[in-house]
Amino acid sequence: MVDKLTIRRILGLYGIAAKMDLFWLLRDTKYALAAIIADLIANLATVSSVFLISVRFGGIGGMSPDEVLFMMAYSTMITGIFILFGAANNFHISRIIGRGQLEHLFIQPIPLKAQLATMGFAPFTGAINFVVGIALLVVAAIRLRIRVTPLWTILLVAFLLATMVTIIARAYLVSTLAFYAPVAAEEISTKAIEGTWLLSTFPLSGMPAFVQIPLLTILPEGLMAWFPALCLLGRPPLGLGSCYPMLYAIILAVFAAAIFRKGMKYYVTRGSNRYLPYGFRR
Amino acid sequence: MLQEDRTDIFRTASAVSLRHVTKEFLQWQRDNTGKGMIRNLLKPEKKTITALGDVSFGIEKGEFVAYAGPNGAGKSTTMKLLSGMLLPTAGDISVLGMSPKKERRALMHRLGVLFGNRTELWWDHPVIRSFEWKKVVWNIPEDEYRKNLRIVTELLDLKDLLKTFTRELSLGQRMRADLAMLLLHSPELILLDEPTLGLDVVAKRRMIDFLKRINRENGVTVVVTSHDMDDLEEMAHRILMISGGKIAYDGDFDGLRKITGNLTRVVITMQDESVPDLRNSTLLSSQNGVHEFETDLRGSSVKKLMKYLSEVDGIADVEIKKAPIEQVIARLYDEWR
Repeated sequence: MVDKLTIRRILGLYGIAAKMDLFWLLRDTKYALAAIIADLIANLATVSSVFLISVRFGGIGGMSPDEVLFMMAYSTMITGIFILFGAANNFHISRIIGRGQLEHLFIQPIPLKAQLATMGFAPFTGAINFVVGIALLVVAAIRLRIRVTPLWTILLVAFLLATMVTIIARAYLVSTLAFYAPVAAEEISTKAIEGTWLLSTFPLSGMPAFVQIPLLTILPEGLMAWFPALCLLGRPPLGLGSCYPMLYAIILAVFAAAIFRKGMKYYVTRGSNRYLPYGFRR
Repeated sequence: MLQEDRTDIFRTASAVSLRHVTKEFLQWQRDNTGKGMIRNLLKPEKKTITALGDVSFGIEKGEFVAYAGPNGAGKSTTMKLLSGMLLPTAGDISVLGMSPKKERRALMHRLGVLFGNRTELWWDHPVIRSFEWKKVVWNIPEDEYRKNLRIVTELLDLKDLLKTFTRELSLGQRMRADLAMLLLHSPELILLDEPTLGLDVVAKRRMIDFLKRINRENGVTVVVTSHDMDDLEEMAHRILMISGGKIAYDGDFDGLRKITGNLTRVVITMQDESVPDLRNSTLLSSQNGVHEFETDLRGSSVKKLMKYLSEVDGIADVEIKKAPIEQVIARLYDEWR
């Protein structure tokens, strides 16, 4: 008997992930709060440094300080969503593959996609950045006198979704290498996501096109905050159009899914499945 | 019983059935020379490792089967194939009448898998929390969960452990908790890969008793791997031995002993310091007048042995027992090398 994967069932899986997260928080609240606050400070430090530079110089590359604040708010929300839904290495999938944990997910009677989508949900320990991001966005929107209409809100959600899809698709794309070389590629998704994270919080408006274009195509750092923020402010850069981040996300996701599936097929049929329970070390 | 004699099992086997299953891995070969590094960069050398080569066997419902073999023989690979974690390069696998590849989700509702070197419990939570997590993920009905929880808590003596963090459990306690979690969804077949790994005698005893009990009383089919042959002999009715990716033996433990000769241990306690001369036997140890011999009863019967011993002067006591299965297996492994 296979139980159907209904909306209720998926919500149940999110619910149990949330419950585990709450109990983890209550397990040692003092320690958990310290970790949450440290995480928040680290992310705010990244954001505020760029904002303070823009205040000092009256803006960066044609973006006013308030517009930079808006972009930083968007970036903080993305960081927040990443932490909120990715607390179980489910976005850093190369860690799960490299540590030989992926095949152990197969013993659960639910689809792998559903497991990966729900297992990292941490609303109690991982929501703080997202909440702060919303607060910053509200402040920036007020200062910029943005008319927050239902359409604008839908666009915001669509851009956030597109950015998240781009981040996850890229992580899964590079993580495919871990199917072929688990030891060498265990941390490759961390490098792919966090290695260029700082770059994604920098306004690219003042940069020449030969810097901007690669950062919107080869490395999608420009799509992490800068491009969507300018779209939401009604000024999509480089004449690419507001739908570019969505298109990029779809193409990258389709490509990454195909490559990842191929890698997984290789792993379960031909790959060497030797592993250590706590991951590989050099 | 050899593999060929077991082929008729396929007609009746309903728990596990492997037909001509081959599993190959690709391993990258490397050397540390400069030339080798450049060669690996351009065209990596890969070697095909055959973990299982054309393996066929069947297991009926309610059986308790030991699956043994030397390191690297393919035991864990078989377990992973049966649980759908890996896919075979060739051949068909059926578990509880289902394909682990095509019907994985349905199968996982009826199958339990435990790898001794990897816990499925949440590390930083009390044990009961992992159980509750499983209830939701496996969608176990509340009454079934409560009933199973009560049973495993009682049988595995978990009452005092349920509120303890997994990371604070001893290995034996952790294995008990893992086993309990495995049984919460009432699996019909359980696959245990090295469940007694690292356990002390008391913890091992408890686990063995429990496994025998659920097999006997609940009809749960059990397939277990271990390097501890004495444990396996105590638990299982049948042993499948794998070597070099092939089934080398399929039958009972007594049959296994006969393959290496009818090895028997004879322990003779003498009244004096003399050492009896036991023909066709090897003296294994002598201490305080107690002498232990190994003899192969293929060459002479117990009757002849007893007759000979009755004629030796000064014997205070005689004990005749089967050779430890560990020794039989060690001899087999040596032969297979």
